[in-house]
Amino acid sequence: MPSWQEFQPFIVTGLALGGVYALSGAGMVVLYRTTGVLNLAFGAVGAMSALIAWDLINNSLWPEWPSYGVAVLFAAGVTLLYGVLLGPALAKRDALVKATATLGLALILLGTMSWIWSDKARSQVLPTSTHAFDIGTVAVTWTQVISFGLGVVVVFGTAAFLKYTNLGTAMRGLANDREITATLGVPVRWVEAQAWLVSGILSGVSGLLLSDLVGLDAVSLTFLVISSLAAALIAQLRSLVVTFFAALVVGLVSALATPITSISEYRNMAPFVLATIALLWISRKREISFTGTGLGNGRG
Amino acid sequence: MAEVEASKPAGTSQAAKPGLIDRGLGPIFRLERGERIRVTVIAVLFAFVFLVLPGMLSAYWTDVATAVVIYTIVALGLGLLMGRVGLVSLGQVAVLALGAWVGARLLFATGLPFPAVTIMTGLITMVLGSLIGLPALRVSGLYLALITLMLAGAITVVIAATDFPNGGGGFLGHTDATTGASQIRRPAIATGEHAYFRYTLIWAALMFALALWHVRGKPGRAWATIRQSEPAALAAGVNISLYKMWAFALASFMTGIAGALLAGSSGTLYNLTFPTQDSIILLAVVLMGGMYSLWGAVVAGLLIKLLPALLDSWGLPPDLLTILFGLGVIQVLTTAPTGLVDQFPKDMAKLGRLIWRAVGSPGRRAAGTAGPE
Repeated sequence: MPSWQEFQPFIVTGLALGGVYALSGAGMVVLYRTTGVLNLAFGAVGAMSALIAWDLINNSLWPEWPSYGVAVLFAAGVTLLYGVLLGPALAKRDALVKATATLGLALILLGTMSWIWSDKARSQVLPTSTHAFDIGTVAVTWTQVISFGLGVVVVFGTAAFLKYTNLGTAMRGLANDREITATLGVPVRWVEAQAWLVSGILSGVSGLLLSDLVGLDAVSLTFLVISSLAAALIAQLRSLVVTFFAALVVGLVSALATPITSISEYRNMAPFVLATIALLWISRKREISFTGTGLGNGRG
Repeated sequence: MAEVEASKPAGTSQAAKPGLIDRGLGPIFRLERGERIRVTVIAVLFAFVFLVLPGMLSAYWTDVATAVVIYTIVALGLGLLMGRVGLVSLGQVAVLALGAWVGARLLFATGLPFPAVTIMTGLITMVLGSLIGLPALRVSGLYLALITLMLAGAITVVIAATDFPNGGGGFLGHTDATTGASQIRRPAIATGEHAYFRYTLIWAALMFALALWHVRGKPGRAWATIRQSEPAALAAGVNISLYKMWAFALASFMTGIAGALLAGSSGTLYNLTFPTQDSIILLAVVLMGGMYSLWGAVVAGLLIKLLPALLDSWGLPPDLLTILFGLGVIQVLTTAPTGLVDQFPKDMAKLGRLIWRAVGSPGRRAAGTAGPE
């Protein structure tokens, strides 16, 4: 068993990762609550925007910040476009069908990425990673600070936004009952488009941060979304605050397993195992009704 | 008409003409005319693929054909789960990897004949796959799909750490040294490419028979009821837990068989054989092929294994296919839920009518009745 000293750097890594997972988890939960779509292409969109930034900086020799801006714009644009084009067509379908359709988008993006950039592993160092400071004996980069801080700000900011603004109220209304909210005069498509846009921006930002924290590889970034999905699932796709803490746990458990050699190879299982246990615990009381079987049908 | 009848989910067409299959293995001439034609077409097709096709193919294309057959079996299992019972599993490729691992391990550990090992692999994978299906008893729909995705992720992590057996010692049977590694054996009667292709074809035929037997029998009717409405199934006295587990067990059994066949076909297994995105691609091709018909599995097998090889031979990047499958998923879900097997003949009929109208009666086309429906 490694000593406490050896664990310290991994606590920082874990918190940073957890922050990004919370960021993307919040993006997925808000979108799911508003539109009923669980966006499984979230990671693919983020991966592609990270690759676009990398390409602009390294091949087109653009300055860094405009490249990141374009990357986030791309993520927002693609997500919004998908939502506006396909959202209405699938609005009345089961949550499973909506989620499966986003897998289609994920495949399109995966194919495009592997076509343009091939499957080579790259690294992307954000300018915030070149500066570090020490906490005790552990060096902390600004990217890690931003990842954790952004997670906190976004999760609690979004929670406040949903609670106190008109748009937020409309989104919560949609989450409860689409038909009634529409009857009350809420412009459903407009509110949904806002949710798609916000979720797209968050996917772009988390894609960029993860490309620095984990590495720039299309497939692994695409599937890293499963880790934040695990956090969102533990929160039953409802509570943003629970998503935040679950994301921290997922990030910390995976990172802290790294120095323990006997389980190090299996550390990536952490999100899957945690989410499966959580789901089984949540669904321990099963109800069958003609409107749906509690979990699984409709919006959970 | 016969095709349309076939592509309907079980239960609807069966309820209309009970007894047809319940008479057991009745002589073929007692079947209805449409059925008789279909049986004949299938028999001729199978004979062609079994006897003539291997002779026309080079070793490379025979390997491709073998892969098509193996993935057809996997698609058949997933198609049964999705189309018949309405359970979506995003982890079938992980189950296939599990099957291949078990198959390879057994082939190295025992001297048992290949068919015995294949069946044992199917049974072991069935038990393991049913464990994955266990949550299906409690959750359904989106949450079940996500649990299977999570468990598939976990299996992938474990297999990435243990690697595949290659003749090494210990429980894992993997050695990093090149000297101790050896090839996974094939059945004594089918060591060559052509023979092994025929061998997998026979297994595929058996799996189709097994699927058909299930779909047309009591399980098929129970599954159809569960898919339509769980409360209704419960009220009708269908044991929901039993039949859901049964479906998962059957799909895992088939996938395990496919895994053992894949182990024999490849000789050496790598993690790269089962990339993470393949689970999604498999779901895509099953949806595109058509999950309500058993033929959909054949189309799915061709899509996932023949098309990449074709593109490769034409010098096109195989990534185009991933994009195409992505578009296919969206297209199927928005406009054509029955998939290619059902949609293609309809579209062809439509096209035929269009051409007929354009060529045969230009006067009517001018009158503005070009759109048939």
